[in-house]
Amino acid sequence: VTAEADRGAAASSGAVTAVPADVPAVDAPPQTQPVPWPHLHLLDVDGLTRPQLELVMGTTDAMREVLSRPIPKVPALRGTNVTILFYEASTRTRVSFEVAAKNLSCDVVNIAAASSSVSKGESLVDTVRTIEALGADMLVMRHAVSGAPYLAAEVFGGSVLNGGDGWHAHPSQALLDLYTLRSRMPGGSLEGRKIVILGDALHSRVARSNIWTLTAMGADLWICGPSTLLRGFEAWAARGAAGRRFTVTSDIDAALKDADAVMALRIQKERMASGLLPSLREYAARYGLTRERLRAAKPDVIVMHPGPMNEGVEIAADVAVDPRSVITAQVTNGVAVRMALLYLLAGARHHGGNA
Amino acid sequence: VSDIASDLVLRGWAVDPAAGREGPAELAVRDGVLERVTWLAGDDAHGIDDRGTLILPGLVDMHAHFREPGNEDAETVATGQAAAAHGGFTTVAVMPNTTPAIDDPSVVARVRAAAVASGSPVRVLVHGAVTVGRGGETLAPLGELAEAGVAGFSDDGSPVHAAALLRNALAYAGALGLPIIDHPEDPSLTKGAEASEGYVASVLGLKGWPVAGEAGAVARAIAVLSDTVADVPGAHLHLTHVSTAASLAHVRAAKAAGLPVTCDVTPHHIAFTDEWIAGARRWAWEALDADGAARDPWTDGALVAAPFDASLRVNPPLRSAVEAAACLAALADGTADAIATDHAPHTEVDKHVEFGWAINGISGIELALPIVLAAVDAGRVPLARVVEAMTTGPARILGERQGVKPGLREGAPADLVVVDRAATWTVAPERLLSKGRNTPLLGRELRGVVRLTLAGGRVAYSAD
Repeated sequence: VTAEADRGAAASSGAVTAVPADVPAVDAPPQTQPVPWPHLHLLDVDGLTRPQLELVMGTTDAMREVLSRPIPKVPALRGTNVTILFYEASTRTRVSFEVAAKNLSCDVVNIAAASSSVSKGESLVDTVRTIEALGADMLVMRHAVSGAPYLAAEVFGGSVLNGGDGWHAHPSQALLDLYTLRSRMPGGSLEGRKIVILGDALHSRVARSNIWTLTAMGADLWICGPSTLLRGFEAWAARGAAGRRFTVTSDIDAALKDADAVMALRIQKERMASGLLPSLREYAARYGLTRERLRAAKPDVIVMHPGPMNEGVEIAADVAVDPRSVITAQVTNGVAVRMALLYLLAGARHHGGNA
Repeated sequence: VSDIASDLVLRGWAVDPAAGREGPAELAVRDGVLERVTWLAGDDAHGIDDRGTLILPGLVDMHAHFREPGNEDAETVATGQAAAAHGGFTTVAVMPNTTPAIDDPSVVARVRAAAVASGSPVRVLVHGAVTVGRGGETLAPLGELAEAGVAGFSDDGSPVHAAALLRNALAYAGALGLPIIDHPEDPSLTKGAEASEGYVASVLGLKGWPVAGEAGAVARAIAVLSDTVADVPGAHLHLTHVSTAASLAHVRAAKAAGLPVTCDVTPHHIAFTDEWIAGARRWAWEALDADGAARDPWTDGALVAAPFDASLRVNPPLRSAVEAAACLAALADGTADAIATDHAPHTEVDKHVEFGWAINGISGIELALPIVLAAVDAGRVPLARVVEAMTTGPARILGERQGVKPGLREGAPADLVVVDRAATWTVAPERLLSKGRNTPLLGRELRGVVRLTLAGGRVAYSAD
């Protein structure tokens, strides 16, 4: 799917043209103008304020405009070395960051952990120091252990962008989900909208990051799944995300009733081995997102999935390609959001941002 | 020997749990002997209170890791003794999870020899393993280890997995007059766990270590003990580093029923909480609201440090402020017999890594006293009770046969610590004598400075 395919939808909601006044002209390098973004690193979304989220959205609009050009490339970050260090297998997130960096004219180095000295037992700290010595300005990393990007940020002189850490956070995914939802919601507002995250929240960094961003934008957020995969979330919901309440339930009918959007999460086969679920078949029967179940939701419900999908398990194949599905738009928006994040972080470096 | 403590006169607030007494006192030490203890009153006591200089019996730590043999890059017996003296401890019992494990008299002898060779007067007691290689399969030679002088038996770092084996160990060790020091944990509930199950772990995406993982093991061990004492009245179960209200309720009930069970709590479980992993650094008792519930660090501005500091990874994990308060309450009411440091020094290589891959443990023997004094300062526990839990409490568990008799006794070798309770110091790597700098308190200003530690009549540590 190209930017072309999705542009119509975003433009019709007015998202592309509504670039806020404080969003920089992204053709120019960020050091030539102040960027109102204070963070040197993007490790989590829990500390992002609503104005900062709005700035990411506005900058993403500007990047969508770049993507709509015949040659979707600007010289904004020319000479910036972006190193992508992934300790977990990933296709879409890694490629999305790579495309985003190249669209901004960055030099990109890809390191897959299995083919580097990591497999020889080198520590993360040593690996990051080596990457810095090789000239990296920005480090995009994915890691299986929650919190690992904080360790990298402690020793790396440039900016660290968390591409997903353990069960903890997936900031760029949550921001592209937010962007996609806003571009599809009438008026671009999530205020009071019922959004359901469905499935394995326990092991999901996507769910955790979306809890912060969606509640920050005023959504009526529901987390739904088998109780074994919601462990600990009731304790969180009781306090809310920085006090912003959300709902946790195992009752899928209650969750889907009148929903404005549903995001299905991937189910891993390992969950059966660890005794958290009886079988994939039972999961699909009880929590799979089917057309029949979607009847309880609003007629124009937005269907999302962070990918990769197990079609026929957490989401029916026909639902994935249903007109209400924005799954491919999520992928396209992912490039624009990641361009925006790279741009904003580079700007923070030039203007003395804090960690 | 030049380090014999001679011709010292000490004035301050003395606390002597052995005599059941505290107050202004003057102590005279000559040629290593505590020659005179004079309790002061009236004008003689003028200007002395419990906020200034404290004089305490030498502290006793019944649970520390000195890493020798096998992991001398993390700690040695000699550096452990130096760190202990800096922390005010004059007697330390070391755990047998070394390489090789202390499951044979020859390893006991080796640790003892290291303690003598160091020249330190800090007394090192040795716990033997319950099972061969701490493997949880077959009993170690408990009788031979007892003859070699071990203070107790523990597979610490791991529980004694099988209830049947725990039962045999309690009976066999009981007949030898020695305690089984159990690390209560049900591994089926804690496999891969990174942080205490609950709010903080949920937000941070860390695998939860549930309360039941400890409380279930405590209940089981107490049930096994209950069966055992019928046959072996000398059986003694000690539960170490207990960290939850539910576990402590089981211990409280067992004690009320007259069972020979004791337990300890650690300074970090009474003063640190799981919210520190998110970046908070306030003491546990400062993290409670007026109703006794844990406050939310994400809403009240308490997150001041970077999250996922691996120095906070410890087993059992740091708990919520509510659980920490229960540990402190158990200390105050005597359910917890002792404060044990679980001093667990580690190298940078093992600790400066991803949180979930960091080895468990906090280096704590040098900071234990300032931490518990902070709880005293906050009015959470009386000073005399804390001193008891760091002297006579653990000494009773380790037993008279080890010759550990903390107290300010005239005519005995001087074994005491002088603490300037009003003075502050900033924790920094170069100020720690342990090789393990794995503490979340680096950079923190603490109140309570150890000025002088005398062990067995000799100067073990002097700040001057």
